[in-house]
Amino acid sequence: MSSSNKRHSMMPRAGQLPKAPVNLSSSVVIHDNAVLTGNHTINISSETVIHPRNKLDSSHGRVTIGRRCIIHERVVIGAPSSDPTKGEFGVTLEDYVTVEVAAVIESGCTTIGEGCLIGVGARIGRGAKLGKFCQHCTITARSVIQPGEQLPDYTVLYSNGTRRTDRRGVTELKNKAQARQIDVMRRLIPTNINRFKE
Amino acid sequence: MSSRKQVKGEYIETDTGNKVSRKANLIGTQHIMLGGKTVIMADAMGSSGAAPQSNTSIFIGRYCFLSRGCCLRPPGRIYKGAFTYMPLRIGDHVFVGENSVVQAATVGSHVHIAANAVVGEFAIVKDYVRILEGTVVPANMVIPSFSVVAGQPGRVIGEVPEGGHEQFEMREMYKTVGNNVPPPAAPAAQAV
Repeated sequence: MSSSNKRHSMMPRAGQLPKAPVNLSSSVVIHDNAVLTGNHTINISSETVIHPRNKLDSSHGRVTIGRRCIIHERVVIGAPSSDPTKGEFGVTLEDYVTVEVAAVIESGCTTIGEGCLIGVGARIGRGAKLGKFCQHCTITARSVIQPGEQLPDYTVLYSNGTRRTDRRGVTELKNKAQARQIDVMRRLIPTNINRFKE
Repeated sequence: MSSRKQVKGEYIETDTGNKVSRKANLIGTQHIMLGGKTVIMADAMGSSGAAPQSNTSIFIGRYCFLSRGCCLRPPGRIYKGAFTYMPLRIGDHVFVGENSVVQAATVGSHVHIAANAVVGEFAIVKDYVRILEGTVVPANMVIPSFSVVAGQPGRVIGEVPEGGHEQFEMREMYKTVGNNVPPPAAPAAQAV
């Protein structure tokens, strides 16, 4: 066990970055290794799961995350963008959004609509808006959304820019599956919300 | 890559010859099994949200090499009405490049996954496969042996040439990493 303790000390300490003012629901699951930093508020609604090694950065604007979202490892939400002007808010994720490993969402009025899936390593530019009513878009792995780009509902973006519309009509099922997945993760991910609250 | 000046004991070396960087992020270590002689570099990440009933969720064979910033995670899906993580099995002599993400069900032996690649959930990669840089292997894809895969989404674009399979050998690479290895530049200087 001593070796694991040692290794722990090599990790970047959460205390190095300023803690963000947070507004967390009591049913949120955040792994201890996640980092919530910045000086604007970070709101996270109920039953959202945040995996280890995430960075939620509100130094460029408010970050709001809806209900039942899943944020996987190494995601950066609220990354600085090349355009330094501040938006009204930073990033808004609506309900049932899944953000997969190592995706980056830039800050500055970026809205990710309900039921969207952001694939592995995708990059969402500043001010992008997914969906007219912001719903159920799928961004596949390693895709890039340019700043300010708007996608209609049910768009599937794949193969580096090709688009089609998802006509499967499985949104209800997807939401149900997401709820189940969250049920399991709540049991697996050790969480201590009070650590982030001070 | 890493600086030549090694910090004292940058790697933890186990009896079975695994070299795990102290800066690697292994989450759920009790569910990760290393076969021996595997190198895990700094910032590599193994994350196993193993279901409590299954003991191991990431199996890694011998002579595997996980570069900086890569991420291995077991795939998950709804199975019999409940969300379950399935094990991720990796064979021997597998190289995973920098910032690659592997969520496959099975990766065979002698597989080379280059930098920035993504191997989707439940993909099955057979033996002697080369996945080129920036490839996105879609979920559930089965890649046959001796293929070269590239593109976004990944397609088989060629075959590993005859005799090309020797390049997949990882023993030499294993020797270049560790706490007290001769600087890699030395043998090259002798050759010149």
